[in-house]
Amino acid sequence: MTSDFLYRLDTSPRALVKLLPQVVRPPADVALQHIQSGTFQRSMSLLVMGTSAVSGLEVAYEHYRGSYSNPIMYTPVILSGVLSIAGAAAFFSRRMARTFLRYTSFLTVVDGLIGFGFHIRGVQRKPGGWRLPITNIVMGPPIFAPLLFGTSAYLGILASYLQREEDFGQQKIKLESAGNGLHKTDWREDIRTGRFQKHLCVVTAVGTLCSGGEAFYSHYKDNFKYRVQWSPLIVTPLLAGAALGAFASETCANTLLPLAAGAAILNGVAGTFYHVRGILSRPGGKKKPLYNTLYGPPIFAPLLFSAAGMLGMLAYLMRRERR
Amino acid sequence: MVHLGAMQKIKPPQRIFRDDEEVDYVIVGVGSAGGVLLQRLARAGFKVLGMEAGKFWDTERDWVSDEAGSHQLYWNDLRITGGEHPLALGSNNSGKGVGGGSVHWAAFTPRFHPSDFEVYTRDGVGADWPLSYEELEPYYELLEQEIPVAGPAWYPWGKPHGHPYAPHPMGGVGDVLIKGCTKLGIPVSAGGPVAILSASRGNRPHCIYRGFCIQACKVGAKASTLITHVPDALEHGAEVRDRSMVARISMRPDGRTDGVVYIDRDGRERFQRARAVIVSGYAIETPRLLLNSACPGHEHGLANSSGTLGKYLMAQAGNVVLGRFDELIRMYKAPPAHALTEEFYETDPKRDFARGFAIQTVGPLPIAFSKQMMAAKGLWGWSMRREMMEYNHWAALGLLGEILPWADNRVELAAERDQYGLRVAKVTFRLRDNDKKLIEFGKNKVMEVMHAAGAVEVVQESRYAHLVGAARMGKDPSTSVCDKFGRTWDIPNLFVMDGSVMPTQGSANPGLTIQALAARTADYLITQGDAIFNSASRDMTPPPVCRSLSPPDTFTSGAPHLR
Repeated sequence: MTSDFLYRLDTSPRALVKLLPQVVRPPADVALQHIQSGTFQRSMSLLVMGTSAVSGLEVAYEHYRGSYSNPIMYTPVILSGVLSIAGAAAFFSRRMARTFLRYTSFLTVVDGLIGFGFHIRGVQRKPGGWRLPITNIVMGPPIFAPLLFGTSAYLGILASYLQREEDFGQQKIKLESAGNGLHKTDWREDIRTGRFQKHLCVVTAVGTLCSGGEAFYSHYKDNFKYRVQWSPLIVTPLLAGAALGAFASETCANTLLPLAAGAAILNGVAGTFYHVRGILSRPGGKKKPLYNTLYGPPIFAPLLFSAAGMLGMLAYLMRRERR
Repeated sequence: MVHLGAMQKIKPPQRIFRDDEEVDYVIVGVGSAGGVLLQRLARAGFKVLGMEAGKFWDTERDWVSDEAGSHQLYWNDLRITGGEHPLALGSNNSGKGVGGGSVHWAAFTPRFHPSDFEVYTRDGVGADWPLSYEELEPYYELLEQEIPVAGPAWYPWGKPHGHPYAPHPMGGVGDVLIKGCTKLGIPVSAGGPVAILSASRGNRPHCIYRGFCIQACKVGAKASTLITHVPDALEHGAEVRDRSMVARISMRPDGRTDGVVYIDRDGRERFQRARAVIVSGYAIETPRLLLNSACPGHEHGLANSSGTLGKYLMAQAGNVVLGRFDELIRMYKAPPAHALTEEFYETDPKRDFARGFAIQTVGPLPIAFSKQMMAAKGLWGWSMRREMMEYNHWAALGLLGEILPWADNRVELAAERDQYGLRVAKVTFRLRDNDKKLIEFGKNKVMEVMHAAGAVEVVQESRYAHLVGAARMGKDPSTSVCDKFGRTWDIPNLFVMDGSVMPTQGSANPGLTIQALAARTADYLITQGDAIFNSASRDMTPPPVCRSLSPPDTFTSGAPHLR
């Protein structure tokens, strides 16, 4: 009886939106339709603007802590500023979205990859190098941070291929013609039509593992002094697993994925609270705000974990690829 | 190959000048000032030779991360100390070996304040400098970039400025200073200014906070001229002749010097011809060498027609205030130098003394700590052992108080002779009223901070830090040894350039100022060119600041900061 009920319980976004109270149902419904048809370029551009500003701030102070000892350390700071501007420009202009935002995003992803290389080199340059991997990963440059820095650029790339809100219902893209051999569908086509759930699941899993890895060695560096420091490590396998599961199964995408993604988002928000509290409880407290932010718990790091959850939640809302 | 820190190696077979080959400059003492002068002059193309009584360190072979094993870094030869308040000599206020004292300094690098350059004008005590803060400021900026200095991007005291490298994370003692100061509403600088890398630069790795700074940094993160300037000097054709003790400066009948007589590593006396000589032996060895070089026409020592040579020696009050805490402090971790406040630096009319002091972190390792405990609490035997077990619960803050220059605080020659047969220095020191009041007030203020931070027991040890003066610069040849570029008034091709030229000392650690003064003198010498060697005329125009002579990597790294 119960299993039959569970079997019939539809937790897809379309079904859930119908359960919402009358007051909020229409806007939620519209938002969902836009997401599922891939017509949310403007909103996504705004999101890119915001996330890029945050990751720019984070990389600015993290690299300040590294004294900008290599001039290349300025590049992510500059690029995230440019990307933020590109996000704003893309909000206003379709052309900007397809050019400025797209190229800046690709450039930023490349910069993230280069940064990843430099951070690997940084670990290698520490005494003992890769022969002392645990010490040097924990004490060296945050190895996955450059990849996480690429998250907003990745969103920028997605945004640049989406349709705009005003395109909704215009049927500009006729997928029906795709099957006739004249027109080959590729990943861009999927993005334009909001069909990139599986793709997003993979990215979610990678992002979660990187972000969870960061949380692991950062909290390890603090000896897991507080039990709550384990929480992102519990959520990490759940979300990464759910995302990979959702890649294989639609059921998983409609059940485990939103639960795990929600947990990650909440975990990040709670983490931000704890990190702020940690900064304030340092010697000098709010009388030394800049110094304590610089050397206290990284104030934006939990939000990066939330960002992984947000990707998962977005994946849940998307339609699946046709193939 | 000689190791200079964990990542830097240089090949020592360098240029070697023959004794009869006339070099342009002989620099006596390759320490903070000597290292910078050597590098600048070599880059400018002069034939320059640095004589160093100690050895050219191989940091991997010669240095140990051990408190007891690091004594060879100091000048341990015989010296006589005396007076009403005798100074302890031969440890942290001396240096021997290439890099000199910068090998074992804690590397605090605050600038002097503008007021330090006109103490007499402002307060009617001490002396004025023959130059202003503004004249030295560009060299402060340049050296902070070269060394480089880590610290806050905005530093409020003196003339506000920032630092090119990011501040360091706090150790336990820094946390104590910050807690105490913020509780009392005293502004405090966290993480610098200190000449220790907070991020790597070129072939120098960043600090790993293991705490052996004043035992000489094997990592190479802490700056010393041995690793910052000497390698570049050697690359540009300078020679460093180590284990060579200069016995006297040789004079020609025409009143100019023609070189130095020195005792080489095999104990032979040799003569090195030079067109000019720069003495950079610091506050005791510089006057000692000049006094030991007395000869017909200079019976009271070289450059001593004013009679001020050896006088106006200054030490800073360096009282250490120790506080015991219930929680763990672990003061051996992190560099001893990483936080300070200069809130009490300037003369305050509300206090009954002139000038002021700074409060800084100190992180004594166990041997130093046990000495402090012995001095502060009179511990011995079992009671000492018991207190030593509490080491990890103690924090140490240091007073750095300005002691004014007094003529009878001085360096003279004693009758005793050292292993080379040279007369050794005798140092006499006495505090005056102003000094005593300042120390009393400062000491109590540091104790107040320690209590405010939550210490359950607070004790203190009286001691002194740093040595400057004894060959002071000035505007008037009758009251000073040298002019504002270190050129002695009496002998046109003899220079003094090190801490001994300072007329007053502020309550800032002197290292950065010594290096800045040396870089400025180097610019002067380069601008003057052959006039130094041939002419007796004295051009007092300040030289243009030369930025093209800095060591490699100077301008390629650094964070945004207030200039």
